[in-house]
Amino acid sequence: MGHYYRSLVLMLTVIKPGLETSVQDLPGRIGYWEQGFPPSGPMDFWSFQLANLLVGNAPGAAGLECQYNGPTLRFERDAVAAVTGADMTPTLDGEPAPLWQSFAVRAGQVLRLSFARLGARAYLAVSGGIDTPPVLGSRSTFHQAGIGGLAGHALEAGQVLPVAPGEGEAGRRVIPACRPPLSGARSWSIEAVPGPNDDWIDAAGHARFLASDWKLQARSNRTGFRLEGPDWSFAARATDKRPEHGEHPSNILDHGYPVGTVNLCGQTPIILVNDAPSTGGFINPYTVPSAAFWKLAQAKPGDIFRFNSISVEQAQELRRGINRLCTEDSIEPC
Amino acid sequence: MIFDEPIFKPGGDRFIEMELGDEMSFELNFLVHSVSGLIRESRTKGIVEIVPELASIMISYDCEAIAYADVVTEMSALFHAVGPLDGLELDSRMFYLPVYYFDPWTRACYEDYCEKIAKKEWGPEILVRSNGLSGLEQLAQVHSGTDYWVAALGFYPGLVSLMPLDPRCRLTAPKYNPPRTWTYKGTIGVGGALCSIYPDQTPGGYQMIARTPVPIWDPAQRLPAFKESLALFRPGDRVRFVPATREEYDYVERKVEAGVYLHNVAEYQRFSIRNYQAWLATIDASDRF
Repeated sequence: MGHYYRSLVLMLTVIKPGLETSVQDLPGRIGYWEQGFPPSGPMDFWSFQLANLLVGNAPGAAGLECQYNGPTLRFERDAVAAVTGADMTPTLDGEPAPLWQSFAVRAGQVLRLSFARLGARAYLAVSGGIDTPPVLGSRSTFHQAGIGGLAGHALEAGQVLPVAPGEGEAGRRVIPACRPPLSGARSWSIEAVPGPNDDWIDAAGHARFLASDWKLQARSNRTGFRLEGPDWSFAARATDKRPEHGEHPSNILDHGYPVGTVNLCGQTPIILVNDAPSTGGFINPYTVPSAAFWKLAQAKPGDIFRFNSISVEQAQELRRGINRLCTEDSIEPC
Repeated sequence: MIFDEPIFKPGGDRFIEMELGDEMSFELNFLVHSVSGLIRESRTKGIVEIVPELASIMISYDCEAIAYADVVTEMSALFHAVGPLDGLELDSRMFYLPVYYFDPWTRACYEDYCEKIAKKEWGPEILVRSNGLSGLEQLAQVHSGTDYWVAALGFYPGLVSLMPLDPRCRLTAPKYNPPRTWTYKGTIGVGGALCSIYPDQTPGGYQMIARTPVPIWDPAQRLPAFKESLALFRPGDRVRFVPATREEYDYVERKVEAGVYLHNVAEYQRFSIRNYQAWLATIDASDRF
């Protein structure tokens, strides 16, 4: 059995920031979408919530999202921490630290995450939760607008992250069957729900979207995941339309963009994710449902996506399945 | 056209797009904001957020609290509860923004684009040519001669899509292709039939014709206008551009920098579609100022 820890104001000092490591929370920045603020929040909300549960936090408490190359952090007080999601071979003072398991950290110890060996995004939760000031109701970082997180941006060396007082217990782990199934394979089956603008694509275009390999481009981030693949073909609605829609078949009167939507800019599909623009003038033939976001989060540039068309009801049922796993029932003592 | 019945389309497991019509018109956009107002007031359980746009509303919902089919039923009922378009009124604040037309900064941004990305004609010259105007002076006169309707917010926090309310002041312009990688904060641009104000230094595609020193969003919430919201505008507000000299521009900029600038806004006005249409009937839309 582990030990209970109680801390006052715990600090984390950033020794190395990693690649765009950011503070995120759930459900993110809700209520300001109509002013142009996206929800932000962790992309793999499944791994993120499990990290929080491991250290005794509310599942949505603020933690760190580490991308591709993780940070090096010094704990200034005793704490309980957990790392989930991608395997960035975490070490504590040079000794291997466990994944999917809460562990005790003593004041002065250094937690180091390095390159993602498996998956792309790791989540660090600390008992009590990161305690940066909320902006518009959320601690999530939205760096394009410079709000949330610490000073509005990704972590920088030398910064100090406040952590709220909390109680956590070391030696708890996530039951393996309750974790997102990361395999290391470089191809992914990604669910997609037709719409909202599926009627702008012709039958051949739909068949091609669902039958082709789509390669994730390097220019992909928390705004959008760019895909490379065959050309699209369009239905009459896309070519025979009022001039205010714009010239290209993929142009439409400015409209709202669902988070997860497959936004077609000319011939390039971009899956719009957590920090994406709220509106714009391109069509969205399919939308990746929230239940598939952990796959997007854990995919690396060069990986291959194959899309699998499902209904709204199926997408909602898949999400319910993940929600059922993001509870205390998924945690067991080591 | 404005649809008799809205069209609902799913966006994955959490979103529904509600299309109210298929055109860019003030009347359709007014309907969008009237329906959006009713959606907000209804506090329908499970509706999380809405994004009203030119002709549609994006709705996010929690399927644990409301089923897709029930969102459709509830939103259709609200659409029909709005009533005939010509009886609609909305509160509409009026903002006055000083703008410096054909300023040196947007000119420098254009020159930077020509040098680094692609050679192109200067935006104000494109507008003069493609809208049959006599020159830059008339462009500034026409552009500042109308109230603009805040038709939508989005893409970037605080960014506005503005529609001219006086048909005599309509301007159209092609967009940059490829888009600019950066634009000065406060740039006034025209793209398609819309006008926009860039809230911050962002990429962009609208033709740049002027710049305002007045911030329209402020993440630090320094000025009094941002005490309650980081973004200045709400849909249904109106904007009037007031031509300013370099001296006036600098004066306002100094006040903004000192944190003492008060936005010039009239808060007491309501906008009536019936009154607007009655006024439209009295003017010759083909006449330029």
